[in-house]
Amino acid sequence: MTDMTSGSLGKTNTDLIRAGLARRNRNQLFLQGFGMAAIAFAFLMLAILVGSLVLSGYKAFTQTHISVDVFIDPEEISVERLPRGGFEEVLQASLVSRFPDVTERAEQRSLRGIFSNGAQFLLRDMVVADNSLIGQTVRITVPVSDPYDQVNKGLIDRETPNENRRVKDNELAWFDALIAEGAISSPINWALLTNADSRFPELAGLKGALVGSFWALLICFLIAFPLGIGAAVYLEEFAPKNKISDLIEVNINNLAAVPSVVFGLLALAVFIGTFGMPRSAPIVGGMTLALMTMPTIIIATRAALKAVPPSIREAALGVGASKQQVVFGHVVPLAMPGILTGTIIGLAQALGETAPLLLIGMNAFITSAASSPFDSATALPTQIFIWADSPERGFVSRTSAAILVLLTFLITMNAVAIYLRSKFERKW
Amino acid sequence: MVSPKGDKTMNDMRLIERAVDMNDIKISARNVQVYYGATHAIKDVNVDIADKTVTAFIGPSGCGKSTFLRSLNRMNDTIDICRVEGDILIDGQDIYNPNIDPVQLRAKVGMVFQKPNPFPKSIYDNVAYGPKIHGLAKNKAELDEIVEKSLRRGAIWDEVKDRLNAPGTGLSGGQQQRLCIARAVATEPEILLMDEPCSALDPIATAQVEELIDELRSQYSVVIVTHSMQQAARVSQKTAFFHLGNLVEYGETGKIFTNPEDPRTESYISGRIG
Repeated sequence: MTDMTSGSLGKTNTDLIRAGLARRNRNQLFLQGFGMAAIAFAFLMLAILVGSLVLSGYKAFTQTHISVDVFIDPEEISVERLPRGGFEEVLQASLVSRFPDVTERAEQRSLRGIFSNGAQFLLRDMVVADNSLIGQTVRITVPVSDPYDQVNKGLIDRETPNENRRVKDNELAWFDALIAEGAISSPINWALLTNADSRFPELAGLKGALVGSFWALLICFLIAFPLGIGAAVYLEEFAPKNKISDLIEVNINNLAAVPSVVFGLLALAVFIGTFGMPRSAPIVGGMTLALMTMPTIIIATRAALKAVPPSIREAALGVGASKQQVVFGHVVPLAMPGILTGTIIGLAQALGETAPLLLIGMNAFITSAASSPFDSATALPTQIFIWADSPERGFVSRTSAAILVLLTFLITMNAVAIYLRSKFERKW
Repeated sequence: MVSPKGDKTMNDMRLIERAVDMNDIKISARNVQVYYGATHAIKDVNVDIADKTVTAFIGPSGCGKSTFLRSLNRMNDTIDICRVEGDILIDGQDIYNPNIDPVQLRAKVGMVFQKPNPFPKSIYDNVAYGPKIHGLAKNKAELDEIVEKSLRRGAIWDEVKDRLNAPGTGLSGGQQQRLCIARAVATEPEILLMDEPCSALDPIATAQVEELIDELRSQYSVVIVTHSMQQAARVSQKTAFFHLGNLVEYGETGKIFTNPEDPRTESYISGRIG
């Protein structure tokens, strides 16, 4: 009893507690400070990541265009030989007439280099659509080639000695003259979203990758969602709890942790090697991603099913619902928000996955968007991979821009998941 | 036979009921054993539960009264490690016979749980769910009729008739519990099992539910598990006292509470064990 009221040194318990209190408070302050520092560090890193992407990528969201009057010379272009062209010559002539003092053939050709290589095809498409343009003078606005795009965006240093500079002094003079007369403009680069890939950065866009990712994710969803939910519902609600179901559960958790490149190897060996499915096709990509996403969906679904309170099951059983009616009439609908959240997060992971797609060849150079899941295609992350690997200067900013597009999609998907969760979350 | 509690009419009613009891045994349990894995939760219980009577199961926590109640409609089937031995006959039929489908059994033996557990659906859908899955209504009009009748029997119709499409989870606790009772009677069961139906309710809601239980007695055999001895005394005609998995004493409520035969019953009732 004396110990309770006073310590061996004559201190009361209150004194002992007070003595320890300072240390306890200090520890708590330290932990709080550590936690805040960790969060601040994480935010800083995120800001650096996004900041550097935006800084290097924002320039890809505009594209320098040139507006010129082009005389569509009937001597060069005729209806009969439209596909063969002569459009390059016509474009060249339009600039030569603007700079009459450029007379050397080689110089005239480099003058033509201001146009993007795709300009002639844009002009051809115009003429194919409207034959009556032949013999007329039309004003066209087309992209400039990558070096001049870089000049316009200030990415080429004019102080560099002439021989080391990509754009020479005379070319700069032409371009400055064009700027001075207002022929150069920088509209928003919609081509980044509406064009497929190209060797020329000024023409390259993400459409092929977006369409490829869409098909792959659609296939992934169609396979992984029903199979994942089916497996989870069976394991959680119907399967007997024994060694075998424990083993299956452990292995599903293991599968979720398997590096994605392994799934790529599996797909390469089985889908492409054994079953002879097409390479580079979103169908194979989707199936591979489905293998990867399924464990995530199963785990999320099981957690969501577990979270449905047993009282609801009892209520339904109590009025005479069969097991199947309880599960599909009550438990699964109540778990749906959780299931959908898990599925969307799984799909977002799949959208950002690169390694397995590289192995099944979805990093090919493909200049048209896939019209079905069986066509060759790239996906957003593999497109980023391809662009990051390309030597042209213009791809540097486009790589960052593509990453920003990918991040936008990921953030949107996660936002949808959070919205669904908060909207349908139930308080029991 | 005169109970110290209750008025004259109650006693008269009980006498009439008892006359019926003699010939009309609804549930008959013989040598029932229930095991949870290695734990022997119910030991050799024999009991006859009468029709159109309220039977109360009392006893200290963990004595097995809820377990025994849940074995009467095979709710224990959902627990993997639970095993029931012995015979439980309802209307002379063994409910653990492999030919008996628990789904059909539970339509006949309704259940109300400790915590009000309405489905997160509308009040109407809560009550209509049972009749719907059993195909008891041929059309919407019939279903409407069943829902109204059940809500009236649950003594909650007047409170909810204007908001049948409101969610059942939005009602107060007492209303939710009466909704659950309405849901349980919607399938026209013959037996109503209640597992501490008032333990989550305040005294006013408890009084309403108790009144309702007394009314339900005219149509159903009601078995109620309760921790409150006052409640058992108020609503039941027969009382069974469980202790450590044994059915210690079973008889007239009045007799159990005033003149128990077993010393354990007396200790529990006087508050010495439990």
